[in-house]
Amino acid sequence: MKESAAEGKGTPVMELGPILRSMKRSKVRFGLIVLEVALTLAVVANCITMIVDAKKQMAKTSGFDDDNILSVRSVPFDAAFKENGYLDNGLKQDIAAIRATPGVRAVTDTRFLPWQGGGSSTMLKAFGPKGEMLRTQIYAIDEGFLDTLGTHLVEGRNFTHEDVDRDTQRVRALADVNREKGPDGNPREKFLQDILITRAYARLLFGESPSYLGKLLEDTEGDQYRIIGVVDPFYNPYGWQIHDYAVFYAVYSRSFEGGEAFLVRTEPGRRAEVMQALDAKLLAVNGGRNVTLRPLAEVKNGYFTNQRAVEVLMSMIVVLLVLVTSLGIVGLTSFTVAERTRTIGTRRALGASKADILKHFLLENWLVTTMGLALGIVLTYALNMGLVSSVSTAKMSWLLPAGGVVLLWLAGLGATLVPALRAARISPAIATRNV
Amino acid sequence: MILYNMRIAMKSLKRSPILSTVIVGGVMLGITVSTIFSTIRHSFAKDPIPHKSSALHYIRLDSWDPLRPYVPEQPTIPPTQITYRDMTALMKSTIPVRQSGMFKSNLWVSLPGGMPGGHGAGGTAAAGSAPDAGPPPDSAKTAASGRAPAIRPERVETRLCFADFFTMFEVPFRYGSGWDRKADTDAAQVVVLSEEENEKLFGGANSVGRTIRIMDRDFKVIGVIDHWRPSVRFYDLTQAFLSAPEKLFIPFTLMPPMQIGTGGNTDGWKSGPSPGFEGFLASETCWLQFWVELPTEEKVHEYEDFLTAYVMEQKKAGRFGRPLNNRVTPVLAWMAEQGVVPNETSAMAVVSLLFLAVCSLNLTGLLLGKFLARAPEVGVRRALGARRIDIFMQHLVECEIVAVIGGVLGLLISLGGLKILNKWMQVVLNRGDLFRIDLPMTLLAIGLSLLAGFIAGVYPAWRICRIQPAVHLKVQ
Repeated sequence: MKESAAEGKGTPVMELGPILRSMKRSKVRFGLIVLEVALTLAVVANCITMIVDAKKQMAKTSGFDDDNILSVRSVPFDAAFKENGYLDNGLKQDIAAIRATPGVRAVTDTRFLPWQGGGSSTMLKAFGPKGEMLRTQIYAIDEGFLDTLGTHLVEGRNFTHEDVDRDTQRVRALADVNREKGPDGNPREKFLQDILITRAYARLLFGESPSYLGKLLEDTEGDQYRIIGVVDPFYNPYGWQIHDYAVFYAVYSRSFEGGEAFLVRTEPGRRAEVMQALDAKLLAVNGGRNVTLRPLAEVKNGYFTNQRAVEVLMSMIVVLLVLVTSLGIVGLTSFTVAERTRTIGTRRALGASKADILKHFLLENWLVTTMGLALGIVLTYALNMGLVSSVSTAKMSWLLPAGGVVLLWLAGLGATLVPALRAARISPAIATRNV
Repeated sequence: MILYNMRIAMKSLKRSPILSTVIVGGVMLGITVSTIFSTIRHSFAKDPIPHKSSALHYIRLDSWDPLRPYVPEQPTIPPTQITYRDMTALMKSTIPVRQSGMFKSNLWVSLPGGMPGGHGAGGTAAAGSAPDAGPPPDSAKTAASGRAPAIRPERVETRLCFADFFTMFEVPFRYGSGWDRKADTDAAQVVVLSEEENEKLFGGANSVGRTIRIMDRDFKVIGVIDHWRPSVRFYDLTQAFLSAPEKLFIPFTLMPPMQIGTGGNTDGWKSGPSPGFEGFLASETCWLQFWVELPTEEKVHEYEDFLTAYVMEQKKAGRFGRPLNNRVTPVLAWMAEQGVVPNETSAMAVVSLLFLAVCSLNLTGLLLGKFLARAPEVGVRRALGARRIDIFMQHLVECEIVAVIGGVLGLLISLGGLKILNKWMQVVLNRGDLFRIDLPMTLLAIGLSLLAGFIAGVYPAWRICRIQPAVHLKVQ
């Protein structure tokens, strides 16, 4: 049996020579460990890259008080809601009722819903002959918007209640008329509207500037928008790369078909309580509709489904894989120990100490693991290139393979320790048996 | 011979139960992980309508703003949906075997005598407005004011489509059927109910011929769909394609008279000549999905020519200011373009196969030890006339038996694992039956276990069949 052929007769064990020679005799077995360690490193490093990437994405903050915000949607079925006056009164009653609920800090009437992976968008450009149309998110809001989200003005002023009332009237009137078109197919008479803008979008349109107040934007039909306030921070992930870009105009939105939509900010920790109270309260205000309440945190969870799945499943893979590989090393080393029992006994009889035997196995295994890791680093980067091209994960930092190397060194040594200790306990007397 | 090998293998397995358990466990773990991850990917990627997917084509036309592309970063991509004007024109073609324009809406539904609904307030022609992604409203929490109805009206996901929809997408019916083309022309007030909606409204009874109220009109139930859960809602990949099919289906031609607005995406760049719903329909707003069934290559070419001719004619009328860019895309290509398969699932599937590879390599070591310990016995068999190939086959069969046992156990555990994942998906995305192990995945799992057994066993089996009988006989 080739595998168990006796090795060097009583040579000192702490030299690399005999170790390498003995390894050469069981090339396949050590080759297996090398391959296993290499694959493990490649998979572990890439899994951790994906986990880190998912965590990074999930750590992205909206700049809003996500944990204390509720989304409230009301959709009417009672035909009375088809009348605009009824809708307006209903809206006022609802805002008042929500505001009066204990635990509510702020409320806003807006269809904007952070973390739903979209929203509404339009194309705008800096006013004037130059510049190109650039896409941005756009939302109708009221004066409570900034307080509700917990974001801030860095410049200028917020809409007042009067602004929202006035602009609501103007915009609704505009939607009802047939605007006379000029030769370019756009309305002859231009419409001017005040807006808030996020700092990122203002920067994109106008470049770096000490102040953006009073600057004008225009849309594809030539209507104009004047900046009265600049908002920061703002982040809402979107299908297009416009996560930080947004403009806001002041309009109360409500319709029979679309119903009403509110965001409500509660005192810290009182979300559940407010949610329960609002459910009953809004239906008591008007029962001719259905009301849905949803914590923003839940919307956010839904948005990050993929990332959360990656985090949990990939972590499981990493743990299982390191475990399997360690067990594999234990198995192979045990086999080697069993096979060399007689040789070890002979060595012990010839004066090798227990520590020598232990060292022999640990060193041997360390060598094999290291060879595996060297091959593994190559595989790691190969796999990473394959995955990065198919998955939009970030490129791997060198820290990960380095961490993986340390982890697998430790796992390798740990896995060798058990059988190696057993080997060290082999009695020198074994050598005299069955000769 | 195989049977004999199997018997010997079983004996050998029983002789070292702990080692056998470890080996079975190794394959089981590898197969569990790879089956779960492959199934996740497969659930998104699989062909939702296998024998017809190459015949069904999604139509796009570039009717967008001459001054700038629909997606500035990718100027060659036409809008995802088409305008009402174009859909109406395309529906006149007789080239497709079947065809349907369609969109999704949310409509109030009740039983007659219940709460009177209202007519639609109409969609708006606002440019680039977006869907209301909220979940369907909860059912009754408190009684409605005054005229308490038997069933509190609810907004229900409804698809407006043409008669061909049901045959084109092979919708299975439990009772009745879809409507015919005449019902399209007449804008007949007929409705097809989903299994769930029929359960809710009529307790699952055969409701064909009964009446339900949608908005302010009465509709006659003409068909009830049987259990129908395509893996993805492939006929509308513009949004929320993991959702189950809509609960109601009514003729598309009811949209203009009832002024039904869309519950899906609308992208516009130019408003209509007049305000209101009329103006919206005449505008350049893209908001409709359009499918045609073209069973042969010739039909596809013929239809492409038809589209070209249509766009050229429209260009003369001053529309379609952008370069000619019509797309006739089959189901699977459209799914790929819309990114139905999350990239992460592909990466996870690759990683899970490597995991299985590591498990197999591990087994090689264990099997090697096990087989070589048996060398004396094999020496005797060789001396008694067993050929090398016999020994090799005997040991390989033993590996495969272990692998298949591990594989079957792994498959069973994956069922449990996917059940947990489905529960989680139900909570997060309201879809609890997405991950299913179907026949291809079962075969994959068995195939992978055989492969794992082979990878693990081929070298040990080869080694053991190469031993010299004489050496081992001497020791006896």
